[in-house]
Amino acid sequence: MRSLHLYSRLVAAATFVLIIAGGLVTSTGSGLSVPDWPLSYGKFFPPMIGGIRFEHTHRVIAAGVGLLTLFLLFYLLRAEKRSWVKWLGGLAVAAVLVQAILGALTVKYLLPMPISVLHACLAQSFFSLIAAIALFTSPEWLTTERISVEDAPKLKRLAVLTVGFIFIQLILGALVRHSGNMKAVSAHIVVGFLVVLHALLLNGRISQADGIREKLTGHSLFLGSLALAQIFMGLGSFIYTHRLEPSEVPRLAEVLFTTGHQSTGALILVTCVLLTLRLFRLTAHD
Amino acid sequence: MRPKSLFSAALFSLLMTFAIGSAQAAVTGKALFEGAAPAAEKIKVDADPKCKMMHPAGLEASSVIVNSNGTLKNVFVYVKEGAQGKFETPKESVVFDQVGCEYKPKVFGIQVNQTLEILNSDDTLHNVHSLPTQSQGFNLGMPIKGMKLKKSFSKPEVMVKIKCEVHPWMAAYAGVLDHPFYSVTDDEGKFEIKNLPPGNYVLEAWHEKYGAQTQNMTVAEGEQETSFTFKP
Repeated sequence: MRSLHLYSRLVAAATFVLIIAGGLVTSTGSGLSVPDWPLSYGKFFPPMIGGIRFEHTHRVIAAGVGLLTLFLLFYLLRAEKRSWVKWLGGLAVAAVLVQAILGALTVKYLLPMPISVLHACLAQSFFSLIAAIALFTSPEWLTTERISVEDAPKLKRLAVLTVGFIFIQLILGALVRHSGNMKAVSAHIVVGFLVVLHALLLNGRISQADGIREKLTGHSLFLGSLALAQIFMGLGSFIYTHRLEPSEVPRLAEVLFTTGHQSTGALILVTCVLLTLRLFRLTAHD
Repeated sequence: MRPKSLFSAALFSLLMTFAIGSAQAAVTGKALFEGAAPAAEKIKVDADPKCKMMHPAGLEASSVIVNSNGTLKNVFVYVKEGAQGKFETPKESVVFDQVGCEYKPKVFGIQVNQTLEILNSDDTLHNVHSLPTQSQGFNLGMPIKGMKLKKSFSKPEVMVKIKCEVHPWMAAYAGVLDHPFYSVTDDEGKFEIKNLPPGNYVLEAWHEKYGAQTQNMTVAEGEQETSFTFKP
């Protein structure tokens, strides 16, 4: 079982690398540098020049994550006893297939905004799903005793609410990135502050909750730190994309800020989803 | 009125109509640039070794080219309002080349449904991605030197951006119109719109960086001059 858990973590790590690669494609404006799909200029390996370096690398990593996910499903079917966890493996494979179709549609229909937004949101949802599978197969999930925590329902509600805000923020972020709409930018900033506020509030409540403090404070501190770092990344991205004169080629700092902002966002979502799941697992039913 | 006078009047009217109908004008002028010319952004082309070989020191951004006589190059000047009638689609193609990892021409006019002949004169691959909002866009891979493709735009639109995502510095603009009254400023900032019937028109001058400005103009037979002034 431990090897299954470690393998799930590997798939989650590979998915995070894929999310960074996808972010680089958008940040460098390389999304349509390869006009055909699934081959690239009719080849498995086109010349790795200019924007093709980002787009083709993204495709190769995506294919790798797809295979890793398929193997994860086989591993779960073979080694996992809980049928709902096996179903989650199946759901992950289905998500990979849908994501591949969305990727193909972005190429065929020249980056239609709704498809690009869906592609971005599904990517991070898939990352959360794989990370959750890794948690469900972890020794902590399988062996931990439930703890009675005062105000546990309130704490759980706060955690779920925070996940909800982060998911809304993910949709808004994808809209900002793929449409540049100023209303979406304003909403993204407002919801961003709500996310930070709730992440810090959750961190504060967990650090005061007897019984789970020792187990979850590190996790919630990480979430709070990511949320604070995200303000800095968001500010940098905003300055480069909405305040400075556009440059002929994407600036390195602009690429780093926007990709970093998107990838940190993915980490925040996964961190909060895992924290919420752990909270539900650790606290006793009331 | 006697029949003879009536006939003379009708003949006179017919001749006048013909004379006015066939009278033609030309609008010429310059796109002037006011202020200090901005320093051109230096673009590294290292992302493609073949582009790097052609431009070891990199390229200079071509979005703003101020000519030595203080005029602006690549301004698209066209009749925005007032062109009447149906105009035939020219048989000849507009040639649009990818050479030296740059688009040539950078700004051009083309009529609706006129053939755009896209060439790749580079020994490297390019993609040609058009971004119209009125017509169907296209994204074509052109991996082979000497490759030619033909495309067209089905609706008028000023301007349609064309870009290469392999080489992000490559961008061009097409002014798609349903009439032939357009011109692009040259190395001396000059433009010339020929064969324009006398009448009242709205002229627009568009620049990639400095936007668009319009002028109302009453055009009489012969050549008329005007100018547009762009400021940073």
